[in-house]
Amino acid sequence: MRVREKKEYVIFTFHTTAAAMATEKLCQERNIPGRLIPAPRSITADCGIAWAAPPEERERIEKEPGLPEIAGVYLREL
Amino acid sequence: MKNNWLILVTGLVIGIAALVLGAHGNPGNMGFCIACFLRDTTGALGMHGAEVVQYFRPEIVGILLGSLIAAVAAKEFKGRGGSSPIIRFILGVFVMIGALMFLGCPLRMVIRIGGGDWNALVGLAGFIVGILVGVVFLKKGFTLGRSYKQTLAEGAAFPVVYVLLFVLWLAAPALFKFSEKGPGSMHAAWGLALVAGLVVGALCQRSRMCMVGGIRNAVMFKDFGLVAGFVTIILTVLVGNLILGKFNPGFAGQPVAHSDGLWNFLGTALMGWGCVLLGGCPLRQLILAGQGESDSAVTVLGMMCGAAFCHNLKLASSADGPTGNGKIAVIVGFVVVLVISLLFTKKAEE
Repeated sequence: MRVREKKEYVIFTFHTTAAAMATEKLCQERNIPGRLIPAPRSITADCGIAWAAPPEERERIEKEPGLPEIAGVYLREL
Repeated sequence: MKNNWLILVTGLVIGIAALVLGAHGNPGNMGFCIACFLRDTTGALGMHGAEVVQYFRPEIVGILLGSLIAAVAAKEFKGRGGSSPIIRFILGVFVMIGALMFLGCPLRMVIRIGGGDWNALVGLAGFIVGILVGVVFLKKGFTLGRSYKQTLAEGAAFPVVYVLLFVLWLAAPALFKFSEKGPGSMHAAWGLALVAGLVVGALCQRSRMCMVGGIRNAVMFKDFGLVAGFVTIILTVLVGNLILGKFNPGFAGQPVAHSDGLWNFLGTALMGWGCVLLGGCPLRQLILAGQGESDSAVTVLGMMCGAAFCHNLKLASSADGPTGNGKIAVIVGFVVVLVISLLFTKKAEE
């Protein structure tokens, strides 16, 4: 079985699942790398959805116009 | 299996607790059932008149309190709410109507599978279909809106009142109703049930155990962490029942169950769809209510109100099968859930 190497990601959480979905759509349209993930247990007690991106994209995503309101930003290995 | 040990331990403990409670008096394949236990408690409070399902289930008290204690210890207890509470209440009503058509919540569904009740496999298929329909709306932008910070008192009100009612039940049982026959009369000793609930509630709070979230994550992200917890429950209950000689495979004659496949399927499909819109299964709603989410507390109240409707208006199934009223209620439920799905997806698109 192939074991995937852990990498550090910047993780954005949102107030609603729909906001996370909208972020995925927007990032895909603007060629910003990243993916939707189940929000990690260490970040939130909710069972929500988060956006994980390479750490170097953090500033760009935070300043991206039209992005839904971000609830929190975290660095985690995934 | 990254950091999934906690969810596996939770599944193992729930499975063992279900077996122990079953061996000490709970109804067959009903070591735990959030829907049935909320229904029994609703009956104990006199909110419905079905004399065979009236008992203040200590397991629910334990789950709420276990979640509250774990959340406080982890500094995760927060008063939050305000995300379409009335819509959540209505969804809670219909989730319960779906659950009592099938005769069980998702947790009892997997416990029934572990006991050899193959009607629950039909229920599982319906549940997955319901979740998939809900996920379609999630992907289109369905949202009930964000929740907001509330006071600690608002967050603590529901679990605290529930626990106080339980204390009153212990101190003055004559105020409450008790079944003398039927499933409501079958129960483990209250102390054992309370402790089992406490342990399960605390573990579920820490592990974020959720049947709906599990299937959603598996479908949307190929993440099988939460689903693994439920597979562990099935395996634990299955092995335990085999050891105890209680494994009884088949469709007919299963405890507190009926074998009408179509309505088992439709009941759980309604439950699954409603739960996706709510963001979690009935167990998860209890856990969230315990950690201060007033929206989930409102959902649990909706489920209790749904239980009262089910037994006052003869919507709930029995071992004899579904009722005509129950079938109509499930169809109405699909219409209501569809309207809510469309209404709150359209709103998101705007």
